[in-house]
Amino acid sequence: MNRRQLLKRGLFGGGLLVLAGTLPFAFRTTALGRRPRRELRLLSLEEHAVLAAAAARLVPGDGAGPAWPTAEALDCAGKIDALLATCHPDVGNDFRRLLRLFESGFFGTFIAASPRPFTRAAPAEQDARLEAWRRSRLTMLRSGYQAMKRLAHAAYFSSPEVFARVGYPGPPEVPQVPA
Amino acid sequence: MSRERAPGVITTGAELPAMSAHEVDYAIVGSGAGGGTAAAVLAAAGAKVVVVEEGGHYTRGDFNMQESWAYPALYQEHGNRATDDLAIMILQGRNVGGGTTVNWTSSFRTPPATLRLWADRHGVRDVDAATLEPHFAAAEARLDVGPGNPDDVNANNRKLMDGAGKLGWHPELIRRSVKGCARLGYCGMGCPLDAKRSSRTTFLADAIAAGADVYSDCRVTLVETDRGKAKAVVAEVLDRATDRPRGRLVVHARKGVVLAGGAINTPALLLRSHAGTDSGVVGKRTFLHPTVPLVAFYDQPIESFYGAPQSVSVHHFADRGARVGYFFETAAAHPMLSAIAFPGFGDAQRRIAERLPFVQATLALLIDGHHDDDGGNVAVSRDGRVKLNYPLHASLREAAIDAIGNMARLQLAAGAREVMTLHETPIVIRSEADIGRIADAQFIANGHTLFSAHQMGGCAMGSDPRRSVVNTRGRHHQIENLWIADGSVFPTALGVNPQISVYAHARLFATTIAAEAGT
Repeated sequence: MNRRQLLKRGLFGGGLLVLAGTLPFAFRTTALGRRPRRELRLLSLEEHAVLAAAAARLVPGDGAGPAWPTAEALDCAGKIDALLATCHPDVGNDFRRLLRLFESGFFGTFIAASPRPFTRAAPAEQDARLEAWRRSRLTMLRSGYQAMKRLAHAAYFSSPEVFARVGYPGPPEVPQVPA
Repeated sequence: MSRERAPGVITTGAELPAMSAHEVDYAIVGSGAGGGTAAAVLAAAGAKVVVVEEGGHYTRGDFNMQESWAYPALYQEHGNRATDDLAIMILQGRNVGGGTTVNWTSSFRTPPATLRLWADRHGVRDVDAATLEPHFAAAEARLDVGPGNPDDVNANNRKLMDGAGKLGWHPELIRRSVKGCARLGYCGMGCPLDAKRSSRTTFLADAIAAGADVYSDCRVTLVETDRGKAKAVVAEVLDRATDRPRGRLVVHARKGVVLAGGAINTPALLLRSHAGTDSGVVGKRTFLHPTVPLVAFYDQPIESFYGAPQSVSVHHFADRGARVGYFFETAAAHPMLSAIAFPGFGDAQRRIAERLPFVQATLALLIDGHHDDDGGNVAVSRDGRVKLNYPLHASLREAAIDAIGNMARLQLAAGAREVMTLHETPIVIRSEADIGRIADAQFIANGHTLFSAHQMGGCAMGSDPRRSVVNTRGRHHQIENLWIADGSVFPTALGVNPQISVYAHARLFATTIAAEAGT
């Protein structure tokens, strides 16, 4: 497979799978952070830590003032783990490889001159890493960013604790009608 | 010859033994618009029918209007279905009732121009408006499709109507499949009133009353064929909590098999089964109405999350001659779906999300397959996973950019304070002078939010077995007792929301099956 074919195949076509396979030690220096709030069904502790760190930066919680719950408070990473555990096993495996790439300082250096593991980088450096994925010229990196972003935002913004922050009063009362 | 049967039942995966086998006249795969209608027609004709549905069985008491529950429970791949590169998010139902449980009730007949295109270019010469008329009429009657109702128009749709009206773009009221609608705004999460007329509450209910049985939580993985005939369907019985197989269900079909799993799952099932795929066209020419959203901000609250989600459409740009056409509708901007669609992350995204009540959301649906674009294709990986590849053809990108500009013009005409594109680096538009900047921005995969709620094609009907999968009555060209009765038979995108077209074509096909079988 040449480089062009690799890039055209996209996130779940194998491109990242190949890259992630070259980073076997990416999780060796992962900062585990807080323990998971629920028993993990799919992810390892290291993978959960990377996901939790990314979700913290992706959602508005951190730095938006105390009224906005944090990703950690809403257990975004745990909710995503539970959802992915019910998806096709390939989806979970692809996502785990994606987390390995996100964490890798080697890959971080390559895309954003950020040599630390993602979980050990400062918030501004983590944001720069996410920006590099988001704005990449490579489709597969943009796809990887979207996978992470959509899952984090789905877990966060579907939580009733956030509704008031976005001016959404929640579902209305359902009129009573006979069955 | 018709014969009375005792009413059937819906049996969930949890109620099924680890292994079971059944023998019926017709096995139907899928319980949405196509499967429900085929089941109703065949059961009414006296045939013993079983419907096998991958998704779960939910009723109105389950529909809690929470996105956190609805998308994982009611949609394909727990709401995460997308094209391979994730560029287009695919919203497609997966439950007893299929897409009709979660659609937004918009009811259109297949446009005459689309039927003419199919006749002229795709060998569909005997399915014209007159042929379909009784089937459209029957579907509309059963689904309580009434005339467009001005009282359905919420503030979100009002802006679409006002802007299009001022520009002379002919907005129209949308006919809706509802009875006793309270305009709550949660059609996409299942109607808690059963006011929406879905397959589950109409045709599938009729089928069950006429003796059809339904098995939910059963994912059909194989159509067994022998010497050119379909013999049985084989399904995994799923544990709903884990979505993993916990048993096996086999339905032997004495007379035939009808596939109605939708335009992605039906071609995938044929490919996985190696059933009648020699022509090489199964899974090819898959169309999505790639959907380009745009948001406008108003000074007064819009609260698009309440009220009938879609009540106004604009088809002024459906025919752009040699260029790909499109039409406009609205979207209900609930928090989760909106946040996924909004560009950026963290604090930058917070500033957009905080304005949610003031957001008007317009959609441009691109009419794919009518020009030089061949759509996408469905494939199956070695371990059976469904894959959808959909390249963004240059002609679609041109249409998307043109549509974004016209949606912005429409919102400015309707009085929006500002308009924001959903490029990852959004373009904010406050006047006509800003619209030129849209063409300067890249329109690339995962560089702009794209959805699809309308999946079509992949098993096209037609007269030429080299270019189509089924004939114009849904019968497979090679497997004589295998029919397809869902949106996969459409040779191109429709140019309108597809539910009524699926109901009507399924009814046409099923009445033909019943008549030919003499049941």
